[in-house]
Amino acid sequence: MSKPYTLNELLIIIVAREIHDYEHIILGQGLPTTAGALAKALYAPHAVLMMESGIIDFDPLLPLNHIADAHACRGFSYATDLFSTFTMTYRGFVDVCFLGVAQVDKFGNINTTVIGDYFNPKMRLTGSGGAADFISYAKRTILTMRGGQFVNTLDYLTSPGYLEGGDSRDRSGLFPPGSGPCMLLTTRGVFKFHPETKELYLAQIHPGVSVEMVQKDVPWDLKVSPDLTETEPPTEEEIDFMRHFAPGEVAGRGLRTELVLANLDKKAQRCLNKT
Amino acid sequence: MALFQQPANDKGNLMKEPTNKIMSAREAIEAFVHDGDQLIIGNYTVSTCAELVFEVIRQQKKNLLLYSQSGILDVEVLVAGGCVDRLVTTYVLRSGGKFGGSAVERALKAGSLEIEDYTNFNYNARLEAGKHGFTFMPVLEGVMATDLFKIRGFMGEDKYRVIECPYTGKKILTVPAANPDVCIVHVQRADRFGNSQYWGAIGSVPAAVLSSKRIIVSCEEIVEHEIIRSSPHLTIIPSFRVNAVVEVPWGAHPTEVLGYYNMDRLMYGLFMVAAATREGMREWMEEWVYECPDREAYLTRYFQRFGMDILNSLKAKPYYSAPANYGSAFTSVWNAKGEERDMGLTLEELEDIIQEKGLFHE
Repeated sequence: MSKPYTLNELLIIIVAREIHDYEHIILGQGLPTTAGALAKALYAPHAVLMMESGIIDFDPLLPLNHIADAHACRGFSYATDLFSTFTMTYRGFVDVCFLGVAQVDKFGNINTTVIGDYFNPKMRLTGSGGAADFISYAKRTILTMRGGQFVNTLDYLTSPGYLEGGDSRDRSGLFPPGSGPCMLLTTRGVFKFHPETKELYLAQIHPGVSVEMVQKDVPWDLKVSPDLTETEPPTEEEIDFMRHFAPGEVAGRGLRTELVLANLDKKAQRCLNKT
Repeated sequence: MALFQQPANDKGNLMKEPTNKIMSAREAIEAFVHDGDQLIIGNYTVSTCAELVFEVIRQQKKNLLLYSQSGILDVEVLVAGGCVDRLVTTYVLRSGGKFGGSAVERALKAGSLEIEDYTNFNYNARLEAGKHGFTFMPVLEGVMATDLFKIRGFMGEDKYRVIECPYTGKKILTVPAANPDVCIVHVQRADRFGNSQYWGAIGSVPAAVLSSKRIIVSCEEIVEHEIIRSSPHLTIIPSFRVNAVVEVPWGAHPTEVLGYYNMDRLMYGLFMVAAATREGMREWMEEWVYECPDREAYLTRYFQRFGMDILNSLKAKPYYSAPANYGSAFTSVWNAKGEERDMGLTLEELEDIIQEKGLFHE
């Protein structure tokens, strides 16, 4: 029996397991930087962590708030600019990048820009940031999804996956051969792309999750690997690291926000009482 | 597009004496930001030039075309303040997830704001082109497969254009140069002439600043010119490009400034909660922007509301960069004996030789 854990913690742990020693990793805002810290501490001590703000080879002191967080700057090896971080990726010096997903289609194309019409949005999301260029040129891209959705048709294509599937990404001539998303990690399971059709399929499910639960969220007829495996539960070491480094993740985003807001209220109230 | 720009100083290169450019935020924004300008936020995610942004709003500048690489606090308040008609960005704040919103979203829905979306690299490339005086910059062609390329806002055909590489025949995706009228930027330190030092997450800060025609710098502290001269690798803006220097301690609050203070999560949290609704945003801006004539008033209000403890706890604990040795072996061509090192002669001896050879004109 492993220590109890939450699915949110498990997601970050399986993201970290995809980082190999000596790799050059671009980390985006949020979950990936915490996964990077975990990987460096437990399995990939020589991995080079990088952020598009030009902070290269850093060790985060705590879970970062964003890609230019001061807590990544207390000692790092190379201070470059955003432009050079992307041309570095274009030239093939980045092994893997991690991108969060708001909408994803069956070929791993991503929308992080808008829900509804671009010019008259129902919901305006963050936009591309670095995503479109990183998924184009990193050797591997790992997608992560918390609270996003699977859709048949994206409202806006922000970041290119396998386009229309099959060899359409390679045929476009716009991307290095073999690049593109290699998996999608969610709080339910691990999805991979069929080598020929490039269609997303369920490769692995997390303990306690059923295939039906996964299929319920997918609007197309989701294929399931005949060799479907179950995710290995986190080790005690992994959980201990998470609880110590990023205790907020045990709560997950929604509950954590609630707890932070409650504390904000308390703090503000305390300040008011003092004056 | 004019490739050759007027120098920042009105008297141009004729004025060799460095000028003291220190002024207040009010004076600087009054003098150098005009209605209808293309205004660029020099900072990227951190060290946001909050006081300069607030002053633009207090002076009710109108019809701006705003550039911001990551439009968070800066873009939200400028849009909510009614200063912006058009926005070029790569990242928009979304407060409160699915049930929240942002000033940008509300303005887009109301039709009072037009937006042009780029990727981080595309946006930075436009400034890089502008900074170097080029008319365009090649960018990474993968974007051609996306709606960033296909769906165009107010830039229309000029958002991206595709050309053929004259050397390889390959299709090259390009973006046009951007040379905003005026940049506002917050840095760690500057001297009174405008030499400005910034370190940490460099992002697109130098490109945003140097592509611009006018530059307003706010800083945590004004330092002696000698400090700048002993650490030139930290200087991102040379004095001759700068129009105004404003000393504003806590000038980026509630965002962070590396080496000075952390992000204020209490204040930022309150702002995020406010930004989710129109009414919340209006109240927040009333309290922290309109009713505070300057940063001093803002800080006074902050102390009154929340006390001193929070700000004190946010101050950075020092972690100094190792000094880089800029020294050389010699400080002049003359050795201790007064001889020029290579010829082995004193000035007198050298002049005698020239005299002997009859090379002097009298």
